[in-house]
Amino acid sequence: MAVEIKPLLIERVTSDPSKSNQAGLKRIFFRVKNWITYELSLIIFLFLWEAAPRLGVVKQTFIAPPSVVLITIWEMIKSGELFRHVGVSFERAIIGFILATLVAIPLGFFLGGWYKTFKRVATPLLRLLQELNPFALFPIFMMLFGIGEISKVAMIFWVCQWPILFHTINGVESVDPLLIKSARSMGIDKKTLIFKVILPSALPNIFTGLKIGSATAFFMLIAAEMIGASSGLGWLVWNAQINFQIPKLFAASVIISILGLLINYLFIRLERRLLGWKEATFGQRN
Amino acid sequence: MKKWIFALNERLLDYYGIIAFFLLWEMAPRLGLADPQFIPPFSKVIQAEWKLLANGELFIHIAVSMQRVLIGMAFAMVIAVPLGFILGGWFPRVAKFFDPLFSILGQINAFSLFPIFILFFGIGESAKIVIIFWSSIWAILFATIAGVQHVEPMYIKSARSMGANGATIFFKVILPGAAPSIFTGIRMGSTIAFLMLIAAEMIGASKGLGWLIHNSTINYQMARLFAATITIALLGAGMNFFIHWIEGNVVDWKDEADLNP
Repeated sequence: MAVEIKPLLIERVTSDPSKSNQAGLKRIFFRVKNWITYELSLIIFLFLWEAAPRLGVVKQTFIAPPSVVLITIWEMIKSGELFRHVGVSFERAIIGFILATLVAIPLGFFLGGWYKTFKRVATPLLRLLQELNPFALFPIFMMLFGIGEISKVAMIFWVCQWPILFHTINGVESVDPLLIKSARSMGIDKKTLIFKVILPSALPNIFTGLKIGSATAFFMLIAAEMIGASSGLGWLVWNAQINFQIPKLFAASVIISILGLLINYLFIRLERRLLGWKEATFGQRN
Repeated sequence: MKKWIFALNERLLDYYGIIAFFLLWEMAPRLGLADPQFIPPFSKVIQAEWKLLANGELFIHIAVSMQRVLIGMAFAMVIAVPLGFILGGWFPRVAKFFDPLFSILGQINAFSLFPIFILFFGIGESAKIVIIFWSSIWAILFATIAGVQHVEPMYIKSARSMGANGATIFFKVILPGAAPSIFTGIRMGSTIAFLMLIAAEMIGASKGLGWLIHNSTINYQMARLFAATITIALLGAGMNFFIHWIEGNVVDWKDEADLNP
């Protein structure tokens, strides 16, 4: 589910300063050319998608060509419908995700760092709970929290706390003991130890957890909204299907995919920015 | 005696959490801490499970669900593994060419594609199998490509320098070298497949474990709902264990590095 995407591969073309105007154009041309060669398969795919319904290879009632999808998206943007649904979905996802972060990271620090015995007691149970199929739990959440917002937020919270928790535990446990010992030998107090030594070295792991958690959260959100909601992106898909609005159905799917990719991309960028020191110390990561 | 108790304690430490959890589950509804209508005590759940087992209903649902998963996964494996070998091993340029498309297709939320699959394949068996196929193929494909590309070049070169022909290199070097990664992909794929299966059955089916959950919810049979949840968890864990077991038997050359001592 969590497959990293690479940012667009754009090779820098060094331009000759003497022909600045020409070089600028050339550079743009090269950039576009590079981009096209890299994304060629995607462009061909879009082209086929556009051509197949138009040429009658597949029925246009079943597959809406990308141009129609784009027009539908534009109409949804104009009427404000899109932003409403995206807003609702994001609100749920973000609340659930933040709650999960607030619970899972401190808990992970506790279990990974301090209470070793407690960790041995709790981990098997936590692993067992993690194994439970979230879809099977969804009706139970609905019974417990009603069919309103809370059950969806609880669902998001549930699914994205596991990767965060386990990655935090892993990160805290794999801090180099030498670092802790030397910090301690220099008379560090507990608070500084946590914030200056353990947190920075566990951060790459925590970040991986956050990244997987965010992808899972978004994935489950759509599912939860499809099963029971009256607004949001998942509902949009569901409603379009029931009413047989094929362009809208495709539009909603495209928007969901783009948002998912954007979230992933955002986290990768954030990781690069925050964990610059890691790359410098431990060599090339990608 | 004291030593013996300590040893027992040490051994049981891993299970205390689980035991406590089930005890709490049993006690809380009985003591009125939780509403027994919403959360039936664990013994009631076991009873419901036993009833489902005794009248054979559970086996039908398990068989139906497993059939769907296995057919979908089999299709995914038959396509993804050879494709991964071809793309990763022989045509790296083609792999690079398809990389952006595949990584975007693989990231598409399988859920939002759900209605589109239903439009194409109807609400019958084929739609569910296609959903499972689609959601598990990407993990297997990416893992196979990565596995093939990360086979130590030194092994291939030395095999070649000893005069191994193409088939020998493939079967003796590349295939075993890529196997661990492929198995990881298959395991990930099966996890996703199970997740999607239950969802697919909840949305539209007349048999299967997902349907059992959906039906129990509608009819407000909480004990049966919990029983179905537990069955699905056990089945998923069993599947994972099974793939691990096959992996252990197939990939016997690899040294085990225990990461969680």
